[in-house]
Order: sequence, then structure tokens, then C-alpha cells
Amino acid sequence: MTVMKTSMRNFYAHKGRMALSAVAVLLSVAFVCGTLVFTDTMNTTFDKLFASTSSDVTVSAKGASDTGETTSDNGKPPVMPASVLGAVRKADGVKSAEGTVFSTSATVVDADKDSLSPTSGAPTIVGNWNGNDARTMEITDGAAPKGSDQVMVDADTADKHHLKLGDEIGVITAVGTHTAKISGIAAFQVTNPGAAIFYLDTKTAQEALVGESNVYTNVNVTAASGVSDAQLKKNVAAEIGGGYKVQTAKETADANRDSVGGFLDVMKYAMLGFAGIAFLVGIFLIINTFSMLVAQRTREIGLMRAIGSSRKQVNRSVLAEALLLGVVGSLLGVGAGVGIAVGLMKLMGMTGMNLSTDDLTVAWTTPVVGMVLGIVVTVLAAYLPARRAGKVSPMAALRDVGAPADARAGAVRAVIGLLLTGAGGLGLYLAAAADKAAEGSLWLGLGVVLSLIGFVVIGPLLAGVVVRVLGAIVLRPLGPVGRMAERNALRNPRRTGATGAALMIGLALVACLSVVGSSMVASATEELDKSVGTDFIIQSDGGQLMTPQAVRAIKSTPGLERVTEYKWTEADFTTPDGKTLDKTAITAADPTYATDLRVETVAGNLADAYRPDSMSVHEKFAEDHGITLGSKIAVAFKNGSTARLTVRAITSSDAVIDQGAMYTSIATLKRYVPADKLPLDDLVFATAKDGQQDAAYTSLKSALHDYPQYTVRDQTDYKQELKDQIGQLLNLIYGLLALAIIVAVLGVVNTLALSVVERTREIGLMRAIGLSRRQLRRMIRMESVVIALFGALLGLGLGMGWGATAQQLLALQGLNVLEIPWPTIIGVFIGSAFVGLFAALIPAFRAGRMNVLNAIATD
Amino acid sequence: MTSAVTIPRHGGTGGRTAVAARARQVVKAYGSGETRVVALDHVDVDIARGQFTAIMGPSGSGKSTLMHCLAGLDTVSSGQIYLDETEITGLKDKKLTKLRRDRIGFIFQAFNLLPTLNAIENITLPMDIAGRKPDKAWLSQVVETVGLADRLGHRPTQLSGGQQQRVAVARALAARPEIIFGDEPTGNLDSRAGAEVLGFLRRSVDDLGQTIVMVTHDPVAASYADRVLYLADGRIVDEMFKPTAETVLDRMKDFDARGRTS
Repeated sequence: MTVMKTSMRNFYAHKGRMALSAVAVLLSVAFVCGTLVFTDTMNTTFDKLFASTSSDVTVSAKGASDTGETTSDNGKPPVMPASVLGAVRKADGVKSAEGTVFSTSATVVDADKDSLSPTSGAPTIVGNWNGNDARTMEITDGAAPKGSDQVMVDADTADKHHLKLGDEIGVITAVGTHTAKISGIAAFQVTNPGAAIFYLDTKTAQEALVGESNVYTNVNVTAASGVSDAQLKKNVAAEIGGGYKVQTAKETADANRDSVGGFLDVMKYAMLGFAGIAFLVGIFLIINTFSMLVAQRTREIGLMRAIGSSRKQVNRSVLAEALLLGVVGSLLGVGAGVGIAVGLMKLMGMTGMNLSTDDLTVAWTTPVVGMVLGIVVTVLAAYLPARRAGKVSPMAALRDVGAPADARAGAVRAVIGLLLTGAGGLGLYLAAAADKAAEGSLWLGLGVVLSLIGFVVIGPLLAGVVVRVLGAIVLRPLGPVGRMAERNALRNPRRTGATGAALMIGLALVACLSVVGSSMVASATEELDKSVGTDFIIQSDGGQLMTPQAVRAIKSTPGLERVTEYKWTEADFTTPDGKTLDKTAITAADPTYATDLRVETVAGNLADAYRPDSMSVHEKFAEDHGITLGSKIAVAFKNGSTARLTVRAITSSDAVIDQGAMYTSIATLKRYVPADKLPLDDLVFATAKDGQQDAAYTSLKSALHDYPQYTVRDQTDYKQELKDQIGQLLNLIYGLLALAIIVAVLGVVNTLALSVVERTREIGLMRAIGLSRRQLRRMIRMESVVIALFGALLGLGLGMGWGATAQQLLALQGLNVLEIPWPTIIGVFIGSAFVGLFAALIPAFRAGRMNVLNAIATD
Repeated sequence: MTSAVTIPRHGGTGGRTAVAARARQVVKAYGSGETRVVALDHVDVDIARGQFTAIMGPSGSGKSTLMHCLAGLDTVSSGQIYLDETEITGLKDKKLTKLRRDRIGFIFQAFNLLPTLNAIENITLPMDIAGRKPDKAWLSQVVETVGLADRLGHRPTQLSGGQQQRVAVARALAARPEIIFGDEPTGNLDSRAGAEVLGFLRRSVDDLGQTIVMVTHDPVAASYADRVLYLADGRIVDEMFKPTAETVLDRMKDFDARGRTS
């Protein structure tokens, strides 16, 4: 009990010194809880949405996906004849049934041909206005669509694009472009996270989306009272026979949730991963805080031991303080987590994803996970300092402050650290030298972890060397103040090491990813220069296929020498070794593709793969299945019949673009797949006549003006796009890593603040003999800068090593160029110096304000 | 009661006045109203140049406060303090810091040295801070005087308590300050080491013409001084010239007896 009392008193007495550690725990816990609350809320939102939009039983056409979101590669949704509706109505237990038609592959534009599709990745849905929708939506303005010239739009989309009644909009599908005027605006009763929805009347929807009348994509069935969904499903299935997909409301909602859930899970675990890194960094901060508190309290602990406290009691009193810190930090963190979740929802709102705080979901597990994680991590981190406190001898009460350095422990640490670093280096070397990707990534993971731990362990030793070098460059010119700052940074290498290591972790990841990212851009650019022989690449950014109308528009553009269509489909392969490979990707293109993309072959000539009933395979596939030139593969095309294709070329696996693709000609594909099932083009390549590139570029853009979903890019655009995409991804990751870096900066502030307290008398003495406030502040700032630069140097070095190793490993997959982004690396290094200056602001200010006399008098 | 404002027996050196520092009607009070405590009560004092002055008095007499005020470490409630002809009361921190750096030396009772710097770096620290080059010849003379020539590369933790205080004395002397203040500089030392340090202080006054003010409660330490000032209840109550340990002790016993009977 006394132990707890002393711990409580110590905790309150030093609450200022604990504050930054508490903030570190708070931030990490808040990020974890925020992630959990945010994803739970998203799940709730989608659950509500799907529950409200699913009817008791849904019948979908064969070939529809489980979610009923029906897009097929020919650009038209799979449909069933209207007779199915009649059959369903006859089934027992059916109260009512209604046929619906909808498509998620249409593009909707306003009168200026600007796209009305969401930019957040949410779908654009065009369908008929049916009873199910009438139940879940409320018409707030105008009326439901009637006739082919009317369309109704959802309220969120109308708001976002300032649409009003009477505005003209166009629905672009593989059938053609259908134009209509807005007749009404309808609002969702539950939160719609961001889909844009457009309603036509049934007949118009059939014509505009499928190009046929009397067909439906789905039949929504409502159960008569007393009939369960499962029973109704059985009855309906029995009535209409096989060949259709029949799902209960729960099955539809589950399928919908699974399709969204995958994305949500990826997001959740990615964010939790970054929270984990922040925790890791926070551990260093907590270890430092407790080490410093124990060091400052050595005499006090000695006294406790002298008057009879056992080691265990001393140890436990420190751990009890850690427990209190963990509890306080985690409690605040859980609260802040909810705030972070709300903030994230607002942020998503800005990118076009509507989430309502009404749906805010805090599962009981969230605070429990947050608390347990925060407390366990804090207590574990304090364990080492607590053990050290237990080892304080009673003699310490009598000795002067300042325990002698433990030279033996330093030697042991050096040996362990060097072994770990060596092992990590070996792992990285093996990863770079590996010739199998799977094996290499194992070595890479091992090498990264071991070298990181190794660096953390030898950090204090490195601090001695690195700080001296940095000091010679950065601090010496500043005279005695710089020299003292250097000495201060060196006087407790373990502390400097741990503080720097915290910063090292975040910056190592930044450096590693930036090296991999810029190597990706450089490799892809090189590859583009080397292998792309066409001028323009035309494709949609939203994953829509090219409609025949758009392809025709491209082909009739003046100034073009050739246009190459590129399709993608799946087929079941039966290879000469007798194996059958289901759903294998195969590319069908015009023969000119061999000129547009120069793919290296290891055998044969790629142009021959476009001859009738011919194909190419890639090197690795050929090796795995014993394929040589002339081998025959049975290819059963999706939605088509089986062909026996002759292998006439084997392409090199060493490529970035179209890696591992297997080619055949569109002509061959057409022989086995009926015209109405033929997949639409994925993308189209266009090559201008010599000297007409600029004119062709402009003409192409204007030819596609009516199809805003497609973008024309010349090679420069394409490279820039690639660069932007990778840059965006990196920025997102840097943003998430900022949390870990903020915690690390708190660590620097913490170390400096506690050091200033510890050196109160010294500071008083220096002030007494004439050190000015400004010099004192500069001294502390310089110490901070050196610590930050130390962490940055280690982190950037380590990270560049990791990045270069990863590039070597990825070279197996075509990432051939290693590019170190020096501007980023140097920017981060210089930025770290500023981070150091910033971290020292408050400690330096407080040191400057110290009263000289009190400082001298402090015991 | 004897006035502490005395006619100096030594003549001035060069253009300087014979008085190195003086206090006029200095009051130092803490708190206000009923809790008001007066540490210095209208003190007038002149510190003669080139002399070794000791300030004595019982605990709480205000002797340390007087020294801190004279040295520009503490502010006064009212009155003026002059260092040579410069009034230091009312100076801003920046000027005070510069004044301490350039014109005053300090020796504290303990924790005089920066643990990260070695002996010679500690000695030259005030000049380093000021960005001045130490006078080589003078520095080696000082180092020799305090007998530290073979210890200059050592860190404070590698030096004995006596050696540490000698480094502090050397630091105070090295910058040739107008005046050195010592706050119980031998308080933490055994008698032999203490005698050594006091010997150096005495010699620096005699041989180098240094002005020194030292606060002490040790009659033996006070006997090294030229003049002893006695403080009680924030006032200067007595002074003594050419003291010996016995006369100082007798005078203190006197005060103690008076204090008890009054």
C-alpha cells in the first residue's frame, strides 16, 4: 500500500515530467481507437444502406456478381427475359415482384459533357425507378421520371454539381448516349456514402442501358406475411428453375458488405500498422522518461533502500507509476480517438464521401483494446528503467549524484548490437542477391527488422561517433556554446541514442519508401522510353471499358497512322503438361501492338503471335509448363468456345509494362467468342503520322470531348501521371508516418526538458559566470539539432539501405533502375535540423527563464 | 556601532578609485504585509580595492544575500549598488550578465565546475563565453599559482574536492575580474584542503592585487582576510581589521552571548 502511495505522490509531483510521455501514449492510443471507431462507423453506414436497399429476395441474371452489381466486359449488364418476372409472381409466398434494370458501368455527364461521377471511387448507378427505391428514398423536388426524356437524380449529386430541374444530362453506355432532362430530385433516408444515382423509367432504362426492351437485370421479390426469406428463396428458385442467382436480403447485404469490407479492412490494418509504428516510437520516449526519473531520484531510491525497502518494492513503485501513466494516457487517448474518428469523417466528407455522425459507432471492444494496449505498452517500456531502479544500492543515498557509467554493460551492448546489425546486413545482402522473389522478401523482412534492432542497440555507441562528426561540422564554428552543446549531447549516449532512435524509425521508413518510389518511377520511365512505340494511350481513369462509339471516334480522328485496340479477357488454359489453369488472363490486341509495345522475346517473334490461332506466353509460364515454340495450348475463352492456339513467341519476364502478359490477336478472339459477348477495349493506342503529333493530340482530345471518362495521354502525360500517382501514394504514407515522427519529436522535447531540469545547477553556474540567456538558449537548441540530425542520419542511412535492397529484389520484377531521390533525402535531413530547433523552443525558453540564484541553490 | 564605510588604507591602482564596490542604503525584502521578511536593512558598505574582505554572521543574518546583491546575482528592493563607478542596481539582465562575465569572478561552495569540461576548459570558460582569448602568460601564472599544471586535462570527476575548488579559484582569477566573490568556498573541504585554497586567495590579493569578498562562518577562514564584516538581522553590526582566528571567535562568542541575553 505504501508502495502505491509513494508512486501516486511521485506521479503527481512529477506530472510535468510525465506530461509528454502521456501525450505519446495518448496519441498512439487515440490513433488506434480513432481507426477502429472510423471503420466501425463506415461499416454501420454501409450496413444500414445495404439493409435498406435489399429486398426480401433478389433474383439476378446468370453472370451477375454476388452483390448484384452487374457489369460484364461487353459493357452491358447481364439480363434475363421479362418472362422470369411472370414466373416469379407465380411462386408461393410472393406478395409482389418487380423487375429492375440497372448498370454500374455507365458514365453520366452534364450538358457541358463534364462527368457527374463521384471522384471518391464510389459507383455511378443508373437504373429504373422502382418500388424498392421508392421505399428508401424521398422525392424532395419534382417528380419521378416518366418517358424517355426524363431522369431523376439523387440529392447529394444534385447538390454537389448544382443540378436543378430541367437540366440536361447524358447517360453514356456501350449502347450509346441517352440524353434526358431532370424531372425530379430524390433524397436518401439513410446515409449514402457517396454513390451517384440516376433514375429512368423502366422502358427507358432497358433501352438506354441494355439496348433491348422487356429485359431485367434483377427481380425484387417481397414476401407475403408469414413467409421467411429463406422459404421464399426456395419457392422462387423452384418456380424459375436453374440459371439464375436467387439471394435473400441477408445474402445480398452480406455480399455487398464483403465487397466494401475488403477495402475497409485494408484501410483499417494499414492505419493500425502506422499506429503500431507510433507506439514503437512512443516506447523510446517512455523508456527515456523513466530512465531519467530514476537517475534523478537515485539518492531518494538509495534512501528508501537504506531504510529497508526491498528491490522488489522499489521496482514495483516505478512500475506502478508507469501503470498510472498508462491509465491516464490511454483514457485520454480513447476520448481523443473518437475525436480523430469524427475528424476523419469530416476529411472523407471533403473528398466526396458522406458520413454522418449519427452513425458513429463505438464498439465496446474499442476502449478495451485502447486501454489494454496503452497500459501494457507503457508498463513494458518502463520495465527496464524499473529494473535499474531496483538495482540502486543503499549506498547511493550517501554518494553524490551521478552514477558511474557501467563500462561492462556498454561492451556487452556493443557486441550484441554489432552482431544484430551484422546479421541484419547479411539478411539484406541475401535479399539483394536472391533470385527468387519469395525467398528474397523473407530475407528482406528479416534484414530490415534485425538491422533496425541492431541500430537501436548500438545507437548509444553510434551517438558517440556521429555526434562528434556532426559537432565538428555543425557546432564547432559556433565556438564554446557549440562545444558545450556537443558535450551535453555526448554526456549520456544512451539517452541521446534512444532519443535519436525514435526519430530514426520514422525517417528510415520515409527514406526507404522514397527510394523505392522514385526507383519505380525511374524504372517505368526508362521502360516506357525503351519499349513504347506509340504516341498516345487512351483509357478511362475509373476503370470503365472503351465503348464502341468512343473507339469509332478515335479511329476517325485525322492525322493518325494507326490505332491499336487492346482487350483483356479470361480463359481456362490446358497446357501440354496436362494441367488446366482456370481463369488465366489473356490479352487480345491488334497485330500493330507488336510495334506499339516492343516486348523482348526469348524465343520466336512477337508479331507471329498475332497470326491466326496463335499466341505468346511469357518466359516463366513457359518454363513452368514445359512450353516451347510450336506447343499447342487449349484455351477455353470466357463466354466463348475452346481454341487450340499455337505458341509462336515466348516473351521475356524482365519487363515492367504488361509484365507476364500472354498475347493473341483480336481476330483470333473473334473466332471463338460471339460478337455480342466480345469484351470491350481496355485501352486504345494511337500513333500519329510522322510530324503530325501535336495536331493529332489536339484532334484526339476534341474527338473524345463527349466522353469525359476517357483520357488521352501522350508519353509525357503518361510519365507525369505515373509520377503523380506514386507521389500521391507516398504523400499519403508520409502523412500517416507523420504521427510516428510527431511522437519522436515529442521525445526530443522530452529529453531536452528533463535534461534542463537535471542540469539546473549547471545552468545556474554558467549564468552566474556570465553566459547570456541567448547563449544558453542557443546551447540547448544546438544540442537538440545535433540529436535530431543524429536520428536523421541513422534513419536516412538505414532507410536508403533498405530501399536499395528492396530495389535489388524488385529488379527481379523489372524494377531495374535504382534512383536515390537526393532532393527528398537532403530535404529531410535539413528539415530534421529545423525539427530539432523547433523541439528545443520550449525547453530553451524555460532554461532561459530560470532564476540564477534558485538554480544555484537547487540541491 | 562602527560604520562599515571606511577610508581605505591602500591607495588606488591606476585611475581606479580605491573602492571596488559599494552598497548604499540597500534593502532586500521578501514577501509583503505581515509575511514581509527583511533580509537586508539599509546596508551601507564599501569594499576596498585590493583587499580580502570576509563577511560573517549567523544563519539568516543576510550575509549570503548581501554577497548575491553585490555580485549582481540578486536584485535589491531599494538602494544602490555600484561596481567601481557603475551602478548595477536597475541594470537589465543582458547588461548584468555581461558585467558578471567581464568584471566579476565567482567561487561557490560546491558544484563550481561543468562536468563536461576538463580543468583548463573550465578555467577559460568565462573568456570563451565572452569570445576573448585568454592572456597566455597570465593563465600559466595563475595555473602555476594554484598548482594545477599537471591536472589540466582532467574532468572534474577525476579531481579531489580540494583540487576542484582550486580549479574554481583559477577560473575566477584567470579572467582578471575587478572583484571575486566567494560563497563559503571552503565549506565543503577538510581543514588542510581548505587552508590550501584560502592560501591561494590570500596570495592572489597580496601578489596580484586582486579584490576578494568571501562569505564564511568559519573563524579560521575569516582570519585569512584583511577585514571582517559582521552581519546580524540584515544589518552590519561590527567590523574587524587584521583578524586572527582567536579574535574572530571571541567576537562571535560575544555576539552569541549578547543575542541570547537581549
